[in-house]
Amino acid sequence: MLKAKCYHCDSLLSKDLIALNRKLLGRSIKKYLCLDCLADFLGATTDDLLIKITEFKEQGCDLFK
Amino acid sequence: MGTLIYADNAATTQLDKDALEAMLPFLNQEFGNASNQYSFARFPRKAIEEARLIISNCINARPDEIFFTSGGTESDNWAIKGIALKTQNKGKQIITSSIEHHAVLHSCSFLEEIGYKVAYLPVSNQGHASIDNLREVIGTNTSLVSLMLANNEIGTIQNIEELSKIANDRRVLFHSDAVQAVGHIPIDVNTLGVDLLSASAHKFNGPKGVGFLYLRKGTDLLNWSSGGKQEFGRRSGTENVAGIVGMAVALKKNVDNLRANEIYLQRLSSLFFEKLTGSGIDFLVNGDNYRRLPGNINISIRNQDGEALMHRLDLKGIIVSTGSACSSGKLDISHVIKSIGVPREYALGTIRISIGKDNSIPDVLAIADAITSIILRGSM
Repeated sequence: MLKAKCYHCDSLLSKDLIALNRKLLGRSIKKYLCLDCLADFLGATTDDLLIKITEFKEQGCDLFK
Repeated sequence: MGTLIYADNAATTQLDKDALEAMLPFLNQEFGNASNQYSFARFPRKAIEEARLIISNCINARPDEIFFTSGGTESDNWAIKGIALKTQNKGKQIITSSIEHHAVLHSCSFLEEIGYKVAYLPVSNQGHASIDNLREVIGTNTSLVSLMLANNEIGTIQNIEELSKIANDRRVLFHSDAVQAVGHIPIDVNTLGVDLLSASAHKFNGPKGVGFLYLRKGTDLLNWSSGGKQEFGRRSGTENVAGIVGMAVALKKNVDNLRANEIYLQRLSSLFFEKLTGSGIDFLVNGDNYRRLPGNINISIRNQDGEALMHRLDLKGIIVSTGSACSSGKLDISHVIKSIGVPREYALGTIRISIGKDNSIPDVLAIADAITSIILRGSM
C-alpha cells in the first residue's frame, strides 16, 4: 500500500483515497488530501466522495485496482 | 447539492411531456399487438401508421421509407451491414470518416474482419470531411459511403449535400448517421441526397429504445431480423407502439419549433462564451463555429484534466461530458478530438457541454462560473 499523507492534516491515506485524489484533481498531482479535507476542498460531502469511489470501482477504473 | 443543471443533451434528452401523455394509453389499456388482425390491434396499428406519416413529413420522406428500429445504433448497424452484405457482388469497399460514432466505426470494423476494405476519410481541424478526398477514394468497388450529418462531440455539421452528390454521381449508396441532427436542424432527405439516414428518439425528447432508419424507395439491403412481417417484412419484431408514438410527438414538436430553439440556444451559447472568456481561462473551441449543432459547446482547456473537471462539476450538480476518458488508469483522448488535431496540452482538458431548450440563462452562467472556480482553485 502506498504511504501518502494528507497535505493538510497529515493523516495516512488509503490506496482508494489516493486514487480518488488523482481522479478528481488530476493524475499528475503530487499532493493528496484525506476524505474530510478533500470533501472540504471540493465543496462536497464525504458521502458524495465515498459513492464516487464505489462507482469508479464498478466502472472498472484501473486507478482503483 | 442544490438543483441539478443538466447540460449533456447530446447524450440524452428529457422525455417531452406531450410525448409521455401520448405514450401512456399504449402502456396501459391499449396493449394490443399491432400485428394481429382482430379489432383490438386496430388502434395500435393506426397509431403506428400515423406516427410513420408524421415522421416522414418531418424529413420530407414517404411514409413507406420510414422503418422503426430500437434506436440509432441499430439503424446504423442495419444500414451499413445491410447494404454491405447485400451488395458484396458489386464491391466490398465502404467509405466513412474518422470521426463517426462508434456504432458506425464498429460496424465497419466488423466488415473489415470479414474481408471488406474500409477507407476512413480524415477530417479538417474543424471536423469536415473533404470533398476532394472522397472523390479520390470512391471507386468501382465502393458499395457505400457513410458520413454523419452532425458530430456528437464537436457539433460540426457536414456538407452532406455536396458529399452525397459525389456518391450519387458514381451510383454509390450514401448513408448518414443523423442521430444528433434530427429534431435540431432542418432535414430534407431529398435536399441532402441520402439513400439511408439514422435517427434516435431519445436525442430529440422522445423515449429511449426507439428510432428509425430512412431508406429511400428502391434501396435494397439485407433484412435486419427474420420472423414476422413487421416493417414491410424487413425488420421483424413486435412493434414498440408506445415508443413509436412518443417519438413522433417529440419529433414534430421539435421540428415545429426548430428556428425558435436554434435562436434561443445560440443566445445561451454566446452568453456562456462571454462569461468564460471574461474569466481569462486559456481554452480552445472545437468544431465549426458557424455550421454546428445549436447548443453544442466543446472546449479544450489548457493543462487541465477533462475527466476530473467533469467529476468536479458533477459534485457541484452540473452534468456535462468529457472528451478524455479513463482507460487502464491513463487518460485517453477521444478519437474525434485526436482526428481534429487538438494539441495534447489542450486535448486532455476537453469537455462537452450540450445545452438544450430546457436550460436557462442562469444555467449557462452557473456552468461558466463553476468551470472558472474549479480551474482557478486548481488541485492544491
